[in-house]
Amino acid sequence: MESLKEKLDTLQAVELAEGVEIRLRIAGPMVRAGAYLIDFLIRLGVMIVVGIGLGFAGMAIGDKVAHGLLLLIWFTIAWWYPVYFEAGKRGATPGKRMAGLRVVQPSGAPISFGQSLIRNFLRFIDGMPWITYGFGLASCMATKRFQRLGDLAAGTVVVYERIPPEPSIAAPPPMSSSRPPVALTADEVRALGMFRDRAGLWSEARRSEIADHASVLSGAKGNAGVGRLMSMAHWLQEKRDS
Amino acid sequence: MTAGDFENKNSARWAEYEALVRSVELGKPMPGVERLPQRFRELCLDLSLSQARMYGIRLSEKLNALVIRGYNLIYREKTGGWQAVVRMAAVTFPQTVRREWRLFWLCSAVFWIPFFALLIAAKYDLTWIQAILGSEGMADMEKMYGSEAGQIEHLRSAYGSNFMMFCFYINNNVGIDFRIFAGGMTAGLGTLFFLLFNGLHIGASAGYANAACDPKAFWSFVVSHSSFELTGMIIAGMAGMRLGLAILWPGRLPRPRALVEAAKKALPLIYGAAVMTGLAAIVEGFWSAQPIPSSWKYAFGATFWVLHVVYFLLAGRQARDAA
Repeated sequence: MESLKEKLDTLQAVELAEGVEIRLRIAGPMVRAGAYLIDFLIRLGVMIVVGIGLGFAGMAIGDKVAHGLLLLIWFTIAWWYPVYFEAGKRGATPGKRMAGLRVVQPSGAPISFGQSLIRNFLRFIDGMPWITYGFGLASCMATKRFQRLGDLAAGTVVVYERIPPEPSIAAPPPMSSSRPPVALTADEVRALGMFRDRAGLWSEARRSEIADHASVLSGAKGNAGVGRLMSMAHWLQEKRDS
Repeated sequence: MTAGDFENKNSARWAEYEALVRSVELGKPMPGVERLPQRFRELCLDLSLSQARMYGIRLSEKLNALVIRGYNLIYREKTGGWQAVVRMAAVTFPQTVRREWRLFWLCSAVFWIPFFALLIAAKYDLTWIQAILGSEGMADMEKMYGSEAGQIEHLRSAYGSNFMMFCFYINNNVGIDFRIFAGGMTAGLGTLFFLLFNGLHIGASAGYANAACDPKAFWSFVVSHSSFELTGMIIAGMAGMRLGLAILWPGRLPRPRALVEAAKKALPLIYGAAVMTGLAAIVEGFWSAQPIPSSWKYAFGATFWVLHVVYFLLAGRQARDAA
């Protein structure tokens, strides 16, 4: 995991109090803009429905009362909708949930109500100039964890709630398993494992092209090299008793 | 032990954990939910093992996702409920205002100096006020507080208009408080701008009412809610300046850390400012424009100014420091 920190990656390794390291995938501005758009449409829809409803209700309760209620609901939705949902159990507005996102502390822990309030009230500044979100975008680009200004002040980050699994189709298991000729480093073992797990995605030619980079290890080129790498990966992952 | 063995041996436990987590996520905890913390810690160990023994990316990611789900449930912060609200109002909020007394005087000065400058200027020269209010603003002032007393009472006589104005003030004035706070993120410039702007505008309005409208109609309307609304705005300004100063002057902390700490300190101020401005909206909506003798309104306004001073000076003195 040490090497992970040096790489340019949206994966953040965080150590929990339980002594284990979890990995959070930080969400970038693009997917968050999509989530914001969904939230915007939801809020717009609610306001339209409420507006029509109050328009009719106005006949019974009086136009002014209906107008007042509309303002009150607008205030609630404009300021408190994201605060309420992000402080809740899911840690995400409906839009973020649909986009598979969640707001957490940099430690991965859920955020408090106060943090949710701060990050969402500062949206007013992030949204500037006008409503282009220029400040927020600039701040996202300038920080390692894609934090807009509200995130910086509240101490929050937006992460993918579920890290989508890497596409992997394992190649058919090899007939043999063989011990690697030298002791391998952690990264090398991981690379072999991933090669095996993903080999099913590639054509035969692509497989041997990749395997040729490791011909020093396998001692063979082409299909023979692929076979040897596979059997080493098999030995490392499954059959270590031989 | 190979990855396959490891998975076979533990998968039943992981399945139980996942079922528990899902039941809590759905809000319907299943029986046996008290085992969740234990299962969570076991899972953390399993994840560590799978990372250390390099059981492959697939297994690690599966366990990683499971650990994160449990972590989010177990480490959720409980909000304190009504006790916390009462403590905030009776202790934390006034204490925070007192602790930030420098910011209080700074924000008060930024608001009240232009206010009084324009109020006094109106006696000698209306040009400044005309420039600030504009012809439309002046026309509005005359409409509401024009020569004949009771204009605003007249405007409010329609059914439901008090409630509508209450909602309008909530949306507008509390929203302004929140923007004043957010403006602190631009190194305090936004906050100062809003405070200065409001000081100028409200001072100009008051000056114009004195000079060209019926002063009694104006002052008897604004006096009742002035203490809540203006103090609330100044406190929202304090919250904003707390943020702004953390950016300008982080002290011994790194700037991001200083900003987070400042935001935490500003939180009670925002809650308080929002509640005060909400109270102002209630008074402004349902009391200020009622056909009540103006002497009563002046007495009401003066009482609440005194109560504000008492509250901010004395409330929560005996209680232990909340921070």
